[in-house]
Amino acid sequence: MRARCWIVILALAAGASACTQAPVPANVFTPAHANTASAVRDFFLIRPIGEQPIPFPHKTHVEKAMLKCTETCHEAVTKGPNAGIPSVKTCMICHDSIATDRPLIMKITNDYYKKGVDLPWQRVYGFTPEVHVRFNHAPHIRSNVDCATCHGPIAQQTVAERTVDHTMGFCVDCHKARKASNDCLTCHF
Amino acid sequence: MDRRSFIKLTAVTGGATAIAACSTSSPENQLIRFVPDEDLTPGIAELKNGVCPICRAGCGTTVRVMQGDAEVVRNGQAGVMTMSLAKKLEGNATHPVSQGALCPRGQASIQVTYHPDRLVEPLKRRGARGSGDYQPITWDAAIAELVSRLDTVAASGAQGLAALTRPGASSRNDLMALFLDRFGGQAPIAYELFSDDVLRRANLQSFGHEQVPTYDFANAHMVISFGADFLGAWNSPVSQMVGYAKMRGGRPGIRGALVQVEPRMSLTGASADEWVAIRPGTEGILALGLANALGAKNLGQYTPAEVEKQTGVKAARVERLAHMLAERKPAVAVIAGAPLAHTNGLFQAMAVNTLNAALGAVDAPGGLSFTPQAQAKSGASRSLRALADDILSGKGAPVQALLIDGVNPVHTTPPGWRVKDALARVPYIVSFGNFADDTSVMADLILPDHSFLESWTDARPESGTLMPIVTVAGPAMKPLHNTRATTDVLLDVAKKLKKPLPGLPDSFSAMLQASVGGDEAWATATKQGWVDVKGSGLKGSGLKGSTSPQPSALSPSFDGDPTQFPFHFLPFQSQAFLDGSTAHLPWLQEMPDPISTAMWSTWAEINPQTASRLGITDGDMIEIASAHGTIHAPALVSPGIAPDVIAMPTGQGHETFTRYASGRGSNPVKVLAPSVEPETGALAWASTRVKIARVGEPKGELIRYGTALREFEPHR
Repeated sequence: MRARCWIVILALAAGASACTQAPVPANVFTPAHANTASAVRDFFLIRPIGEQPIPFPHKTHVEKAMLKCTETCHEAVTKGPNAGIPSVKTCMICHDSIATDRPLIMKITNDYYKKGVDLPWQRVYGFTPEVHVRFNHAPHIRSNVDCATCHGPIAQQTVAERTVDHTMGFCVDCHKARKASNDCLTCHF
Repeated sequence: MDRRSFIKLTAVTGGATAIAACSTSSPENQLIRFVPDEDLTPGIAELKNGVCPICRAGCGTTVRVMQGDAEVVRNGQAGVMTMSLAKKLEGNATHPVSQGALCPRGQASIQVTYHPDRLVEPLKRRGARGSGDYQPITWDAAIAELVSRLDTVAASGAQGLAALTRPGASSRNDLMALFLDRFGGQAPIAYELFSDDVLRRANLQSFGHEQVPTYDFANAHMVISFGADFLGAWNSPVSQMVGYAKMRGGRPGIRGALVQVEPRMSLTGASADEWVAIRPGTEGILALGLANALGAKNLGQYTPAEVEKQTGVKAARVERLAHMLAERKPAVAVIAGAPLAHTNGLFQAMAVNTLNAALGAVDAPGGLSFTPQAQAKSGASRSLRALADDILSGKGAPVQALLIDGVNPVHTTPPGWRVKDALARVPYIVSFGNFADDTSVMADLILPDHSFLESWTDARPESGTLMPIVTVAGPAMKPLHNTRATTDVLLDVAKKLKKPLPGLPDSFSAMLQASVGGDEAWATATKQGWVDVKGSGLKGSGLKGSTSPQPSALSPSFDGDPTQFPFHFLPFQSQAFLDGSTAHLPWLQEMPDPISTAMWSTWAEINPQTASRLGITDGDMIEIASAHGTIHAPALVSPGIAPDVIAMPTGQGHETFTRYASGRGSNPVKVLAPSVEPETGALAWASTRVKIARVGEPKGELIRYGTALREFEPHR
């Protein structure tokens, strides 16, 4: 604990000056953070909330269009570690003919798809490299963990929001309850 | 409030201020992301087959391909695209040559694809030749220009088209040869600095096979190697290292012996039980002396005493080595490298063939054999030196256009050949390489090729396995840049000429398919990355001919008067850069040389006695001068070199070769005499004599592993 406090103090001392300008390569090599401010943010688990290119309505797609999360858009989730975010090509499978008169659909058709440019979706959940956790979706899907367990009521949301904090305690509790391995190397490898 | 809580509170408020002050926008927002071309499963690696492009060993590789973000340019706009990217190369475990292993040069070859200085689009020369001033043009314009130029050459009727191709047997080279043949051009020229042509010619005369043998080190009990750095970079290093490992440690109770005969200790010499520092150019005499001691006929004059007189190896040692060879059978002798690069190279190679015959090592377990291969030598082509001579003197058919396929002879030929001057006289030069190098800056048109990971590639190993195989692989990833496969460009141009060239394949992959045989063989080839092509008109390994040495030159002649130029100059093949063709890869620049630990630099190895006599200490700059040129290099005082020899690695000293190699180190080829082995015309690169002089203090040119890098020392 004491070590942590000292880190915080040192971080604060340098923080104000470091954040006002672009990160300057320091003489001391550190792989973890570009500058002190980013180290401080990371220490307190504060992450930017990305601004999505369009307010994608998850609720409409799940409830009205009856799409299954893991079958249409995040289909890699059953195969490997990452769920995957669909490219604009996937949108156009349906929106080539459905709701083509809506302004946002016209926006993704004209501003993105026709120009061959993909939607710059921003990551909502995920681990930073510094926490040394490797998460693999596929085994969780295989053991029937509901998407909502980790991603909250995303089927009711419009733009995806982070509603569940993926702390180590959160993972370990569920692993205990489901009698999954709690070996360090299960996640930290 | 206790002290700890206070600190935490200030930390929180202070931290919040710090965060509020910096707006954080994710880098993804600032870049254009292109729609991916392919359906990808993120996070899952796929293993694909590949062919190593670095040397002619033809190793099969495994390419780990995974989704990633690549910076690309599409329709003139820069951005990021999610695509399948090659991430790592390893040896193909099923491949008979590489056997699951891969050498450091092969491992580093992935940097060819992601190199920051790769040529990414067709270029047309704007400034003077050699200035490197080019302007980008479209592929349509580039192809149209090439077609109209070639139409002009064709109309003139003479054999006006020539080509410089990569060494080794491959369908790519076959296609180039076919293109030139149908066009009515000259046969393509494949020049190599460290060519094994002398060895091939000797084997043709001794055994009826014009090829490099495959050695069965795994079953040998003793190996005597004359200058062959078979654990370093010579021939098929991966398969040789695997065989060597089995010879040394793979048989319980038996440890094969290795004796290395060479005046400068190579990596193989450092691994040997015994290192024999012989007088340069006399290796053949020792081989014949050993053959004589083993009972070979008609070699009576090569007594141990005579051998000592000529080679400097003590008579008692000659007798002891012969005794070792007789006791430890099967034994095999290997010759390569510097012993063949003397003016008597052919004699030396045939002397070692005689020794192998006396040892009973020819076509025997633990000896040497020849891989069956199709003897499809595409006519006798001129040597590069003859081509340069003809261009400069105006003899023969004038070269009106020259195609250069990723080779750099300006860097690897001695100044006396005047290759650069000859290139300057060629009216039109087209380069297909991935990089701007010393040769391709002379080009008028640059049509950059895909990298080997982005296109169909193949290789037919000459040695390394006794199974006749073709190593073949399709593209592991989509092209990153606006490049085109050279094979496709050739086929496209052939169709667009005024008189389209007849008899060319429809596509390069169809040509590859035809080269391996039927559909079944092709299915095997694409599945495992290689295929056995036995039984398709190959010449077996039956041996014929005599092994008695009859070539003209018995003793070596050296360029330079011994009183004026007292040292033998011995360039050697760099472990990292070979002849310089991989000097642009930063991983290899960073790789310490296994003997000197030097990196990012060149050096000149010098014996400690010689160094102290001349007042030279480690790192001092010395000048190396022959009758043909002068270079400077830092001295590296090394006990592993004979007192009358100066050795230097090749590979550095490029004028133009990307940000990592340009202007770095010096090129030992630039002091070499233009002497050749008379019967093959191969460059006798070990036959130059030099003088040396100390010219200055260490200036940081010699960078060794574990010392500070010059770039990071603050006071410089």
